[in-house]
Amino acid sequence: MDIFSGLLLGLQTASTLTNFTYCFAGVLLGTAVGVLPGLGPIATISMLLPFTFGLPVDTALIMLAGIFYGSQYGGSTTAILMNLPGEASSVVTTLDGHAMAKQGKAGRALAAAAIGSFFAGTVGTLFIVIAAPLLAGMALSFGPTEYFSLIVLGLVTSMVLTSGSLLTGFGMVLLGMLLGMVGTDVNSGAARYTFGSPDLMDGLNFVVIATGIFGLGDVLANLEHESSRAASIAKVSSLFPTREDWRRMTGPILRGTGIGVLLGVLPGAGLLLSSFSAYALEKKISKHPEEFGKGAIEGVAAPEAANNAAAQTAFIPMLTLGLPGTATMALMIGALVVQGVQPGPNILVEQPALFWGLVVSMWIGNLLLLILNLPLVGLWARLISIPYRYLFPLICVFTAIGVYSIRNSAFDVYLMTLFGVLGYVFRKAGAEPAPLILALILGPMAEEYLRRALLISHGDASVFFTSPVSVGTLLIALVLLVSILLPAFRRVREEGLTEID
Amino acid sequence: MKLTQDVVQGGLFLAIGLVALLLGLDYPLGTPGRMGPGFFPIIISAMLCLTGIGILLRARLGTSEVIYMTRWLPLFIVSGAIIAFGFLLDKLGLPLAVLLLCIGAASASIRFQFDWKAVAGAAVFSLICGILFVTLLGLPIPLVGSWLQAMGAP
Repeated sequence: MDIFSGLLLGLQTASTLTNFTYCFAGVLLGTAVGVLPGLGPIATISMLLPFTFGLPVDTALIMLAGIFYGSQYGGSTTAILMNLPGEASSVVTTLDGHAMAKQGKAGRALAAAAIGSFFAGTVGTLFIVIAAPLLAGMALSFGPTEYFSLIVLGLVTSMVLTSGSLLTGFGMVLLGMLLGMVGTDVNSGAARYTFGSPDLMDGLNFVVIATGIFGLGDVLANLEHESSRAASIAKVSSLFPTREDWRRMTGPILRGTGIGVLLGVLPGAGLLLSSFSAYALEKKISKHPEEFGKGAIEGVAAPEAANNAAAQTAFIPMLTLGLPGTATMALMIGALVVQGVQPGPNILVEQPALFWGLVVSMWIGNLLLLILNLPLVGLWARLISIPYRYLFPLICVFTAIGVYSIRNSAFDVYLMTLFGVLGYVFRKAGAEPAPLILALILGPMAEEYLRRALLISHGDASVFFTSPVSVGTLLIALVLLVSILLPAFRRVREEGLTEID
Repeated sequence: MKLTQDVVQGGLFLAIGLVALLLGLDYPLGTPGRMGPGFFPIIISAMLCLTGIGILLRARLGTSEVIYMTRWLPLFIVSGAIIAFGFLLDKLGLPLAVLLLCIGAASASIRFQFDWKAVAGAAVFSLICGILFVTLLGLPIPLVGSWLQAMGAP
């Protein structure tokens, strides 16, 4: 199917009243939950997941994607108005965004973020339209060897790009892979790590673990320091960027978009690297680098554009290869599997309406974000100001109902609680859980592809070094690992990641 | 030895890795060409053990932060309330279970006061949840649970 007829099909799918309504609902709900302090995209998606269960697959996916950008965008609002980054990739936004807000320029910072995000989202969507079919075509020629190497790259990048030490990241990846092994081994039918419990035969549900670690774990961590959790919210003034603002943010938005589009595709690299590098680039080429951190509009526009472009193109590896690049994409895959869809290169051939409908609705969702959120910013500011003591019981209820409703199982609720406590322990121990989440999805895939690759080669591991794609991918992974050990890169990484938690 | 982040990380990884390794040894290993169900778990859990030992060795350098607990109570109250919710959901029905979870979890807050306002707020919220999840979204959770039905409720 060529791009034009694909887009036409997508437009037909996305513009039905049902799909448009759910896209709208997703964006609105996603923003509403995403602005709440402490609720990043993962917690937001897992909390809102039950709303998509009763829907047809395409509608559910469109709504989930809407929730995803909504929560992503809501995080920026909180970052600017409250100096509280909902997730790692908003940390950079707090630097200049909140500084602007303190100078009474909150409205203009929000506008810069919104306009930058919209432009970047549009370009990112176009990029998917062009790149995804190509990559999916290529992916069909990939064998288990190439897939295994891609998975290794994804896991290595996720380790390199989280805060904390590499060794800790490695441990979290291994732990995630082990958790992924719980259940029935697909090949032999042997029950592994089930402790004889029938509830564990199907394996640990990904959404249950993500909700526990990110949703409940966050509640537990916040309650421990409840008394210190008082924050002031900046007032929102005029939303219109001045002519000077426009002049200063055009370049950063263009460059940020470029960076985000490219980096978003890398498995594991995701949003964090793109927003951080866009910020670093602007600071480097700016004539006034001293203004950065004190309210430079470039420092809001560039990372927000990069962040949003990457959020779009992060869908590419997921949709074309079935490999999630970020923890959030891993959750989206988990949600798709709940719906009975296995993402991968075949999705484009077998379910073109689903693929193209999603792509078109991504652009619609971005447009909705722009026209919805600026006028509603007063409402979001009021939502942010709800005290945590009213909020967290509701978070508990929504996560518990959500997890229960996946397969009507009280066992999953207990399991989520266990992982909530574990998530709390991870936070206390300074171990970032994102690599674990990614490895939980990628681990079983890694085992399966390793098994098949070695079966074909009769146990000869050198196959991974004879296929060009596989060697190339493994080399990139190696370069990443080595580069982190170099002092120069290490310093940059620490500067960018230490504040992130 | 002080309880530092490295000690907790390393201990956790080593403990889980060891258990997984011991259990994994029971599964047929197979050969690289024909991996059995035990092949991958053994590799991964052995690596997890080594990582745990590595982090424990690093802990001896004493560079990681010491962990302090400020409040234990929320951990128990909130997890207890959610476990109770899971247990009671089909026995009491969704609204009542939500009401209990709401008040139970809220009591973990230092600012919580058990008064009519808290109960009324939780009651309204649990009614909304019942309408939203059961009536509108059609989740198969009873509004009136089995215990209440046994007692002759409608």
